Amino acid sequence: MYPRWLWRGLALPGIAWLIVLFVVPFYAVLGVAFGTVDPILLQPVPIWNPLEWNVGWLQEVLNRLAPGGIWFDVGTRTIVYVALSLALCLLIGYPVAYYTARHAGRWKGLILILIILPLWISYMMRMLAWVNLLQADGYINRFLLFTHVLSQPRDWLGGSSSTVIFALVYGYIPYLILPLFASLDRIDRSHLEAARDLGASPFSAFRTVTLPLSKTGILGGAVLITLPMFGDYYTPNIVSMSPKTSMIGNQIDLYFHGGPQPTIGAALTVVLAVFLTILMLYYIWSIHRAQRDVGTVGAL
Amino acid sequence: MTHHPKERPGYLSRRDFLARAAGATVAVSGAGSLLAACSSSTTVAQETSTTGELLGPGGLPLARPDKRVTLPLWEDPIASGLEPETGGTFTVFNYPDYFYKKLLKEFGEKYGVDVQYTAFDNISSGIKRLASGAVQPDVMEMTPDNLDLAVAGKLIKPLNLDYIPNLQKNVWPELVDPFYDGGSHYTVPYTCYATGIAWRTDHVTEDIAAMPQPWDIFWQAKAYKGKTALLSEPRETIAMALLRKGHTDINTEDPALINQAVADLKELYDICNIKVGDVQYQAVPEGTSWLNQAWSGDMIAGYIYYLPKGTPATALAYWKADKGKVPIQNDCFSICSTTKKPVLSHLFLNYLLDNGVAYSNFVNFNGYQPPINEVDPESLVKDGVVPENLENSVLTKDDFGPDSLQEMTLTATGQQLWEDGYSDFLAGGGS
Repeated sequence: MYPRWLWRGLALPGIAWLIVLFVVPFYAVLGVAFGTVDPILLQPVPIWNPLEWNVGWLQEVLNRLAPGGIWFDVGTRTIVYVALSLALCLLIGYPVAYYTARHAGRWKGLILILIILPLWISYMMRMLAWVNLLQADGYINRFLLFTHVLSQPRDWLGGSSSTVIFALVYGYIPYLILPLFASLDRIDRSHLEAARDLGASPFSAFRTVTLPLSKTGILGGAVLITLPMFGDYYTPNIVSMSPKTSMIGNQIDLYFHGGPQPTIGAALTVVLAVFLTILMLYYIWSIHRAQRDVGTVGAL
Repeated sequence: MTHHPKERPGYLSRRDFLARAAGATVAVSGAGSLLAACSSSTTVAQETSTTGELLGPGGLPLARPDKRVTLPLWEDPIASGLEPETGGTFTVFNYPDYFYKKLLKEFGEKYGVDVQYTAFDNISSGIKRLASGAVQPDVMEMTPDNLDLAVAGKLIKPLNLDYIPNLQKNVWPELVDPFYDGGSHYTVPYTCYATGIAWRTDHVTEDIAAMPQPWDIFWQAKAYKGKTALLSEPRETIAMALLRKGHTDINTEDPALINQAVADLKELYDICNIKVGDVQYQAVPEGTSWLNQAWSGDMIAGYIYYLPKGTPATALAYWKADKGKVPIQNDCFSICSTTKKPVLSHLFLNYLLDNGVAYSNFVNFNGYQPPINEVDPESLVKDGVVPENLENSVLTKDDFGPDSLQEMTLTATGQQLWEDGYSDFLAGGGS
């Protein structure tokens, strides 16, 4: 028998990693968000003691994000973009994950490699590649003209929301498919057979068995892609450049990029983090409930 | 804060992204030391002096083209007649790709040092890194609007001009003793540029230069929707809207003027779905942007490096307003307080003002014009460096002077006002 501390000890590197690369930096962001600005160099002066925190910047950010504030539209736009991108990712990603898990057979490994393959190239390079593809004389327009879907080239890079959303979908979809695949692959086929034996149609079996049992994968994948999407600023910068398609991450970038109010950028980061934490808590609660339900079914 | 053509804050090109990603990593990992360094500053911000004069964040008077400022010496310059230090490394701290490496190598060979080039993402982050001790360069690029910060923070050293004879000999008189640094206590000029409009003559039909107010073209650009862009830079963008309405005080801190300028800029969303970015040097020559606010050096660099083969130079056009209505800027070089080679640093400043070095740096690599007497529009056209139709992209010494416009340091409150105004514009209005 191995000593009990050994298993706990194995978690130490992960915990240390989290503390050094997440907890400490995040506390530094909090210190800046609730801190002051150096009067000479206009650099943030963090306040480390929570009892002395200055909430003025946070109030300013909340005012700007409230209806009528200068960031209300960009905040709303960010939520809409992320929601639509997530919906499209699910619409495209779920069938791919389902097929790979259920019907790909011996091609399963190859398909998984093909899904992972784009991740070998940096996100930025993939976006820049899309800029070339979406040019007026790029391959996308050429294909659409050749197939008579379009009668004249579309100005994809003219600053449209649809291009930003498609780019977000393209950039993040592999991160959704992989946890979805893992979730679908783990579903015990006997559950489906039982449903069919009891008279369920294929669709009904999918709706009442597969879909609920893949909920953790859906939520896991959704969390995995929505968190970075909310902070994304380079995708709209690269494929659009229009203020009409900017996201909240562009505001964080602006305030952190050498201006006199980095504290505003830090406070906005904190607000975004709190918003994402709420989504994260919902995810954890859902996972907990799903596991409990599975446990109940198993006991029966 | 005024940004710089090399900063490219809005759009990320491949090269920019890689640099910024690396910068972000450094920023996160070095945040602790940086912040600790900043918190050690103790000077209290004052925005007006006892005489009611506006002061910058460093507590020093705000320089304007018509208001000369002589910066105080926080220590004595080095003595004259010293021998240059040799051996080891000599570090130049600058924007990426903003100095011809071949020339740096030649300087190193001449004085027996290994010249190292360390890049910063933008001048502000460069000053942060210098203040934190994360870098210890010998010389660095400086901009006039950041000069008082660097001096107040004692980050750069006073100069002994005995070591820099090329300043008097080769540089435009207007910048030998500039308004922002009377007596050239801390800086020598490096490059200069103006802000105007670049466009593709094969797509834009209007004669922009002949318009009563050429800046109006952006508000008449419905036909160029999706192909029209402004610089992604708070000062330049808002200043353009101010100039369009005839307000030539581009350092104003009047909230009403700034708010009106931002409101005017927001009209461009619906008129031409305006874009913001700093890739005009590439986008206009390549034809992905037809109408662009642009720096004068962009068209020269764009013509040299990005104009596709087969596209005539006449496809490019540039307009800048007359003196007194055109925003101009110049960059400088300073000696960092961290230098262990102060004499050699002086010699480097003299080296970059050498006629041959400055010219070679401009035409063979940089694309940004040095303010030296030997570079003039006519000779550049004659030498084939600049096509005749872009001759107006080249500045002359007459563009500088007390009645010129230059975006300079604002008070801390003023900087916040401009940044928040740009934030409002960047937010993009309704979804």
